[in-house]
Amino acid sequence: MDNEKYTDINGKAIALNYQRHSSFCTEFTVSSPKVSIGKVMVATCFVWIFAYAVFFFTDNTAVLSSAIIITLIGMMLYIHFVKIDHESLLVIGSLGIQLSSSYASGREHTSFIEMSKIKDIVINEAIYMHQIIYYLCILLRDPADTSAVSSVVPLFQSSKPRLNCLVKVYKSCQEIISKC
Amino acid sequence: MGQRRKKADVSASSEKRASEADTAASNPTASNPTASNPNRKHSICMVSDFFYPNMGGVESHIYQLSQCLIEKGHKVVIATHAYGRRKGVRYLTNGLKVYYLPLQVMYNQSTATTCFHSLPLLRCVFVREAVTVVHAHSSFSAMAHDALFHAKTMGLNTVFTDHSLFGFADMSSVLTNKLLTVSLCDTDHIVCVSYTSKENTVLRATLDPQIVSVIPNAVDPTDFTPDPSQRRGGRITVVVISRLVYRKGIDLLGGIIPELCLKHPDLHFLIGGEGPKRIVLEEVREKYQLHDRVRLLGALEHRDVRGVLVQGHIFLNTSLTEAFCMAIVEGASCGLQVVSTRVGGIPEVLPEDLISLCDPTVRSLCAGLEAVITQLRSGAVPSPADIHARVRSLYTWRNVAGRTEKVYDRVAGEEVLPLDRRLLRLRQHCGSVAGSIFAFVAVLNFLFLLLLQWLVPDQVMDRAVDASGPRALWGPSQRDHPAEEAGAGAPTAE
Repeated sequence: MDNEKYTDINGKAIALNYQRHSSFCTEFTVSSPKVSIGKVMVATCFVWIFAYAVFFFTDNTAVLSSAIIITLIGMMLYIHFVKIDHESLLVIGSLGIQLSSSYASGREHTSFIEMSKIKDIVINEAIYMHQIIYYLCILLRDPADTSAVSSVVPLFQSSKPRLNCLVKVYKSCQEIISKC
Repeated sequence: MGQRRKKADVSASSEKRASEADTAASNPTASNPTASNPNRKHSICMVSDFFYPNMGGVESHIYQLSQCLIEKGHKVVIATHAYGRRKGVRYLTNGLKVYYLPLQVMYNQSTATTCFHSLPLLRCVFVREAVTVVHAHSSFSAMAHDALFHAKTMGLNTVFTDHSLFGFADMSSVLTNKLLTVSLCDTDHIVCVSYTSKENTVLRATLDPQIVSVIPNAVDPTDFTPDPSQRRGGRITVVVISRLVYRKGIDLLGGIIPELCLKHPDLHFLIGGEGPKRIVLEEVREKYQLHDRVRLLGALEHRDVRGVLVQGHIFLNTSLTEAFCMAIVEGASCGLQVVSTRVGGIPEVLPEDLISLCDPTVRSLCAGLEAVITQLRSGAVPSPADIHARVRSLYTWRNVAGRTEKVYDRVAGEEVLPLDRRLLRLRQHCGSVAGSIFAFVAVLNFLFLLLLQWLVPDQVMDRAVDASGPRALWGPSQRDHPAEEAGAGAPTAE
């Protein structure tokens, strides 16, 4: 474990943990910052002030109660489907790579890619919104033509760590992949 | 001729350096410790709407110039807009990095300009590549003008290369020239491709001629070598390679073909290129039954051009306006006799004995062509190999890159005006109405930049891994002289 500070592409602090289970198996976990109370307050206030403005002109109390329900449901959906708490990458030499992301509500989404399908892991550059960023991705082998790449699986899509963090993960992954 | 111009350019730039030293002495804030170092390596960002896969003179100019600058140890990246599915970041030969930014294309492959929307992405490119000089190309490119504007807002030095000539009389020219005045008012240095083009640009943009240099285009002489065995015996072939548009004088060509074909039964025309004026040539061919003697080849790939050129004896150029005609140099390099109109920068391009210049009329061009045909028949023309040997040393990309490097050295030492003085200059230089409007736009742009810097601070952006330049991780220059590169890399370190 090292003490280097990592941030995501917007400058927010993130944490990178990695566990070496053996020389062939390493698990990386990137944890994003928790939902900030300020952000929740701003979102809630925004909806409620808007609802109150509508109520002021319509005098219909249903508007206010629906605003409360909308914020509650919205928050539930957000932590269940949008907000990802941490993403992990489990690399097992000769077997494959497991990607899992766990949502703030506790829901987990896991997928596994066999080593035979993986061509390589690389760091690539892409234009994302109004920025140009580096990202780590897995290149999948084309079953028809082994030298071609059929598709690309981007990693750490939600936390979007910066280059120094990606390089660290990349080097360890390459170490494991090159051994098998 | 090229030599003479080079000397003039060098002496002019040395004069400028002396005057620059004076201003630096009188103004202590302008002095920059690294400016005096001639071996300084720059980090250059070429910006233009026009780049490969689009084909044309500007595109190949940017590519060849970048390659030669990389060879000299500079770091070069190119920013252009996305072409169809080609978006994102690509690498070309020798680690030349190209950013295809997703900006909306409006007209003729030129992006829309709002002065603002391209700032976030261009800022990202400039910051992450640690760009020191922004070099914009072509006055038709809105993205180039945007980049000049944003670079000044961000405090970077700028160079602009103009590749075309404009008129002064009609409404659209008046408007374009006003925009050019505003855009170039802040630019540190302007490069034109010929003296005619320099005169035109200085007048259009009301510039100080001191900051305008002339650096001609070049051709790759190894690509264009003569091969007389490809010529068909018993006939004289005239080659025309240009886009078939009004500007290239295709209507003149339509007048020349029947007249000369009637007089000389062994004369053949080989025409390469595509465009709206193709119909004119097809009509002529139809009307005078010249299907066997006038061949229209349609659009040509750049690599096929040489194969067409070497089949001919005479290269004909009928352009009505031209800043610097690359085609006639390519033709001469392949050993052809060149006949051209005397317009724009063409008379400067080739030595007088390699080219026959005519007025842009059918009669004059016919007379010029006939004179050359008579010479060819009597064998009083130099051999293709002789012509090639003379032309190959006239225009080389290494020479162009060396001269452009001098411009960068000069520009890198210049002070970038702070916002208040920039606004003052805009209003003084561009008139009170346009100047005030653009001063307002410049302020808005500055505020937008502050907003972006607050949203995503510069230090949060990752510095890109260099693919070319002193700290390149790949590319031949690194492997050839590692010690020299390491020494030269020190002054550019932040």
